[in-house]
Amino acid sequence: MKAFWKNLTMAFGLVLVLTSIVGASEVTEHDIQQGKSIYERSCLICHGESGKGDGPAAFYNAAFSAPRARDFTVGNFKFRSTVSGSLPLDEDIFRTITNGIPGTMPSFSGLSSEQRWQVVAYIKTFYGGFQEEIPEVIKLAGLPILSAAESVRRGKILFQDMDCHSCHGRQGRGDGKVALAGELHDSRDLPISPNDLTNPTGWKNGATASDVVRTLFTGLDGTPMPSYESQLIGHEDDAWHLANYLLSLSGQN
Amino acid sequence: MTNVERFFHPSLKTVLALGFVLFVTSFPLRVPEAEALPAFARKYQVNCNVCHTRPPRLNPFGEQFLENGYQMPGTEDGGIVAKLKYGDVTLDDVSNYFAVLFGVDGVTNVNLKREVPGSEDLTELGTPAIVRLFTTGTVTENVGFFVDMTSIFSRSSDVEIGRAFITLNNLGGMDWAHLRVGRLDPSAYFSMARGRPHWVPVGPKFAPPFGSFATPTVTQWSLFQSAYASKFYGLFDRSGAFIMPFDSTLYNSPEEVGIDVHGRPFGDWFLYQVGVLNGGNERAGDSNNSKDWYVMTRFDYTQSAYLSVNLSGFGYFGNHNAKVLGGADVSRSRYGVGARVRYKWLDVYGAYTIDRVTDLPTGMEAIFDSTATGVTVEAHALVADRVLIGTRFDHMDAGGLLATRKSATFVGLQAKYYLRSNMWFTIRDDFNVRDSEGGRSAARNLRNRFNVSIDLVF
Ligand code: HEC
Ligand code: HEC
Repeated sequence: MKAFWKNLTMAFGLVLVLTSIVGASEVTEHDIQQGKSIYERSCLICHGESGKGDGPAAFYNAAFSAPRARDFTVGNFKFRSTVSGSLPLDEDIFRTITNGIPGTMPSFSGLSSEQRWQVVAYIKTFYGGFQEEIPEVIKLAGLPILSAAESVRRGKILFQDMDCHSCHGRQGRGDGKVALAGELHDSRDLPISPNDLTNPTGWKNGATASDVVRTLFTGLDGTPMPSYESQLIGHEDDAWHLANYLLSLSGQN
Repeated sequence: MTNVERFFHPSLKTVLALGFVLFVTSFPLRVPEAEALPAFARKYQVNCNVCHTRPPRLNPFGEQFLENGYQMPGTEDGGIVAKLKYGDVTLDDVSNYFAVLFGVDGVTNVNLKREVPGSEDLTELGTPAIVRLFTTGTVTENVGFFVDMTSIFSRSSDVEIGRAFITLNNLGGMDWAHLRVGRLDPSAYFSMARGRPHWVPVGPKFAPPFGSFATPTVTQWSLFQSAYASKFYGLFDRSGAFIMPFDSTLYNSPEEVGIDVHGRPFGDWFLYQVGVLNGGNERAGDSNNSKDWYVMTRFDYTQSAYLSVNLSGFGYFGNHNAKVLGGADVSRSRYGVGARVRYKWLDVYGAYTIDRVTDLPTGMEAIFDSTATGVTVEAHALVADRVLIGTRFDHMDAGGLLATRKSATFVGLQAKYYLRSNMWFTIRDDFNVRDSEGGRSAARNLRNRFNVSIDLVF
């Protein structure tokens, strides 16, 4: 029962995020200037002065493989609640800054929430598209399916049927055929490996069932991890089964 | 007793043992990534290489984290990355605050030309091991600490407390002034920091006579950075212990008791540092009742294109911080410049220092060279995600008693293979550039040293 309410609240939270209006509060020139000075202190060292992801420390994390610090000038973002190819919502960028990205980017929750919004405003100045394009939010119908043996079983079948294993491996350990063949590259042409799906602490886009559902709908733009929106729309239940299955791989529900 | 041995404190063995047990038992409770990660990496859930070029050398981001007192740059996030709490101390805290470095020298082959004339070259095999327990972190916003306990089994199984200090950060405003108080390493923010070397320090070997104002026989030259070495033959510390010409001292001491302030009040391009130390290599007390002080400035270019450049210069002004034979006080000072360039996979850094001894007793000038210099240049290249190769050049123009002083020049080559970001194999070879000669000169007898070792940090 507890799990049901947990899932329900999470789904409710997801819906809230998805329906919130972009750029709720007015951004002033002052905010952007403040954002710039925060960026220079906290982010420049990795993301670079011009936002190209070529800061002095950007090379070391995975010198010859992905991920490199994000290049903000091309408008390509991984962690969104918007459809594949769309820009992220401000809330998405805010969430990334707050939570950090496991493995590669520390959480900056030490900045006040005002400071984080200001740096969001500044990051958006690196790419002109933020002025023109309106991000298109993914649409989810129905309620979450709570994790149960039946759901996990169906998720397991979907995982094989939808060919997730070709990259992630039959057991989800990141050792699928395509991955082992070294064929996976990101948009900067750096070799990239699929996540080990048995270890959710390393999932960058969040590790709750609703986070995984979001990942499946949005895809991780700029990486081989595709968006499954076209397959899953109208079959939202399947997305929840997959999420429940993935979480069961680590013994979580 | 040697300088190294003097620092060992047997009573701390229990501290290390306890910490180790606590740490090891807590470890299986929380391993966030596929890799086992040291304290900060665990706390922030990031890979070691976020802060390190490759451990243990810091990259520019790691340097910013260090400068801000173990807080994310531009933040005062000390203590706020809180997990589930059981009162004020959590089990997570144990792994978030402790890290252990375990290093084993697999094979060491030392090629010595013995000082006793007529003896053959000699090959020695040894397997020393090092265990270092660090406990470090932030207790609350802008307040942090660092304690480093080391045990080198080959020399003694006792535990040495190295650095142990408290940090108070962002005094007067963000990045204005960061304070360290305690036993600290002054050169932590210099272009070529004393700590976290890619070259595992190789200590010297000694033979008697030991004791007050005795000069022990150095049977093997050590391979520390020459720029940071004491460089003088015939100096003693205030307790009468011989100061090895190659021991890191003054601004580049591994630890001295004092207070140190640094900051970047004008932005990222300029760093200042000033400090006051008891000086004189004294573990406790301040027998000369006078202080040594230093000032360092550093200029940084860190913008984009995977490039960072910095230049720094310092002056260290000693005040009755050493003695000469006979017990008279002298003052040692050091002036130095350092530079570092990092571009993509290349990392080159070095320092040049000039040391001076002043206040020599009358009559000593004729037999004592009061100026010495040292230079150390290191270069590393990350040739693959897991492979780091490097080379190092060390030259010391020694000073001190003209009768015994000997200059030294060494070159080192090294390759490291990182099995994981927190575990690596090292192959290293150092060789003497100068010809060997007769006589009792440690600077010349060590011809070549080859070593294979494994390090694990967790
Ligand atoms: C230690 C280096 C580092 C620092 C410092 C850093 N980042 Fe990042 N950042 C990264 C890396 C690496 C990635 C890409 C991770 C990935 O693709 O998996 C990234 C990605 C991002 C993204 C892209 C998220 C997406 O949806 O694609 C945003 C936004 C971001 N960072 C913002 C910031 C901000 C704002 C700061 C400063 C407050 C900052 N970063 C500081 C390394 C860093
Ligand atoms: C073409 C290869 C490929 C296929 C097919 C693929 N993935 Fe992925 N997936 C990746 C890669 C690569 C990443 C890692 C992206 C990164 O680190 O930025 C990833 C990441 C993920 C993540 C972790 C996201 C995070 O938060 O870090 C999940 C969950 C995931 N995939 C699930 C799936 C599921 C379920 C399927 C099938 C429906 C699937 N993937 C199919 C390549 C693939």
